[in-house]
Amino acid sequence: MASEYLKTKRILLVDDEPELLDMVGSILTEGGFERIKTAGSVKEAIAAAEEFYPELAILDVMLPDGSGFSLMKELRDSGDYPILFLTARGEEEDKFKGFGLGADDYMVKPFSPKELLYRIMAILRRCYKEEDSLVKLCHSEIDFARAEVVKGGKSIPLTAKEHALLLALYRNAGRIVSIDALCEAAWGENPFGYENSLMAHIRRIREKIEQNPSRPVSLLTVKGLGYKLMVEGD
Amino acid sequence: MMNSIPKLIRRFVGIWLLSSFLLIVLNFVMLVIVALKQSPNGTPWKAAEQAAAALKRTEKGYVLSGPVSDELKSHHVWAIFIEDATHQVVWHTDHLPDSVPLKFSLSDVADLTRGYIDGYPTFTGKLEQGLMVLGYPKDSFWKHMWPSWDYQFIANLPKMILFLLSINVALIFLIYMIANSRLLKSVRPIANGIQALPTGKPVYIRERGLLSELSVNINRTSEVLQSQNDQLRKKETARANWIAGVSHDIRTPLSMVMGYAEQLKNDSGLPDSVQKKAMVIYQQSQRMSNLIRDLNLASKLEYNMQPVKQKRENAVALVRQVVVDFMNTDIEKKYPMEWETEDTLSSCFVNADRDLLKRAVSNLIQNCINHNENGCTVYVSVQSTEKSCNICVEDDGIGISEAERKALNTAPHYMVCDTNTTGQRHGLGLKIVKQIAASHGGKTLVEHSSHGGLAVKMILPRLQ
Repeated sequence: MASEYLKTKRILLVDDEPELLDMVGSILTEGGFERIKTAGSVKEAIAAAEEFYPELAILDVMLPDGSGFSLMKELRDSGDYPILFLTARGEEEDKFKGFGLGADDYMVKPFSPKELLYRIMAILRRCYKEEDSLVKLCHSEIDFARAEVVKGGKSIPLTAKEHALLLALYRNAGRIVSIDALCEAAWGENPFGYENSLMAHIRRIREKIEQNPSRPVSLLTVKGLGYKLMVEGD
Repeated sequence: MMNSIPKLIRRFVGIWLLSSFLLIVLNFVMLVIVALKQSPNGTPWKAAEQAAAALKRTEKGYVLSGPVSDELKSHHVWAIFIEDATHQVVWHTDHLPDSVPLKFSLSDVADLTRGYIDGYPTFTGKLEQGLMVLGYPKDSFWKHMWPSWDYQFIANLPKMILFLLSINVALIFLIYMIANSRLLKSVRPIANGIQALPTGKPVYIRERGLLSELSVNINRTSEVLQSQNDQLRKKETARANWIAGVSHDIRTPLSMVMGYAEQLKNDSGLPDSVQKKAMVIYQQSQRMSNLIRDLNLASKLEYNMQPVKQKRENAVALVRQVVVDFMNTDIEKKYPMEWETEDTLSSCFVNADRDLLKRAVSNLIQNCINHNENGCTVYVSVQSTEKSCNICVEDDGIGISEAERKALNTAPHYMVCDTNTTGQRHGLGLKIVKQIAASHGGKTLVEHSSHGGLAVKMILPRLQ
């Protein structure tokens, strides 16, 4: 995946448990991230943010000298970067969902390290688009910035719907994206009865990206459920 | 209460009618008895006539026949005979009081006829030659010769009596009304209070009136009930909070167990056997994580502390998302999943809390995974029927026995069982599914799958 540049992002970790900081730090290091700073309290976090200029902050909700929510507000005052919350309370899910506090994502402890890395990558990919973002597929490349596919040296333009569908698939590269999620990405909230249109669009995308559209290798069908985009180099 | 008031009134009216009737009958009977008793004594006039007839003139003067004389003597009655010609007493009984004169003028005779001689009530009997006078003991009779009645009054007497009787009855009615309405007045709030007690709402009745003691006791009962309810609620809240607190405190340490175990199991520098051990630790920590999640939700659902926010949701899309999420996390591909919903069914709407319903479906899938450690295929389908939306999760795994299946369908979970449970404890996963289905107006059925393993079906009411 052409996402190595995302691994260079500066990440600030805030949690009051030093052991948890160590563990999350080691997960991130093993995941390829190099620029990580940790803080154990609101005070430390604000001080760290001033010199570290984080590009992603991972915050615990309960900190010894304040809540993660108020810390988020203070951090946002100094810079606009994505924030991921780690919470030990399932009940706080409601707060994240209902009130739109402005957090980019949240995870309830305990979490799987793989899932954490995946979420971090998803947030970063969403927030930091590579300047010349070329996504390498098996038989072609997608240029999202210019909305075209390059196959065998030829540029093929993408329609708005195709672009939206490919983007949704790319953000979840290697994972199944459900039919409903794809319809929502292309046609907005509460899409019903677009299944056939979706199939038609997928067919056209395959014609553009696959060598043999009837035997796809990049854009795979998961019967009845959804589609999966396989990206090279990940 | 609203039904019992007319009943009470009917009853009071009945008692009033009965008592009026009984009073009238009683009066009548008593009158008859008294009158009957009166009649044998009530004939002093007759006695005087008889005495007159029994007085015979002989050579030696007047003589009263023996039996009549004895009769008079036994009743302490004296007698005199006044001769017409002389107005003199020509015969008298032996024990004549001294105060009785022996000569009478015409006006004296008139007086004694309608009244008394010196307080002795006197009665007269006619003889050819004169007047027989009997003198009864003082205060033995009350002679009412003075009063005379208006003819109309006597003629109207039956009407009059009827009128008086009806006034009596009306009076009794009035007394009843006042007494009963006061009673009703004080009974009504008490009855209302008693009716309100089982609803669990606080009850307060003014502690006044005839039945104030009852009011006091009802108020006290209500207070006791309220405080018991409060305590129960407090206990339930405390229990749910306790579970929430414990699960919260376990989450952070468990994160570390899970995190490091996953790193170790993926560390290619370690021997295979160590990686396998790390794998087991990771899997078990995941089980604990699910358990904590379930425990918390189950206790909240049990005590109605989980707000259920229902919206119109497309069950097909929702279930599909859960299946996709599972497939995206099952990296080893140990648990392949099959989507068995008809291709033509793209929507089936239910009124549901999105998160809870997703949780129920994911619990069902997780159940299949937990109970088939050697892997199995999970089959998920949504079926739309006339009235219901059926979500079915099946597997081709080891399945369960018929007895277990029956127990799962009927027996309460050990967590909400109020007896000691020693038998097999099944997980919370299915319990939560049942709770969620119930809170959505649906039900859960555990069956044998046609694929060979277990099948669990959630039947939810379908929206049109």
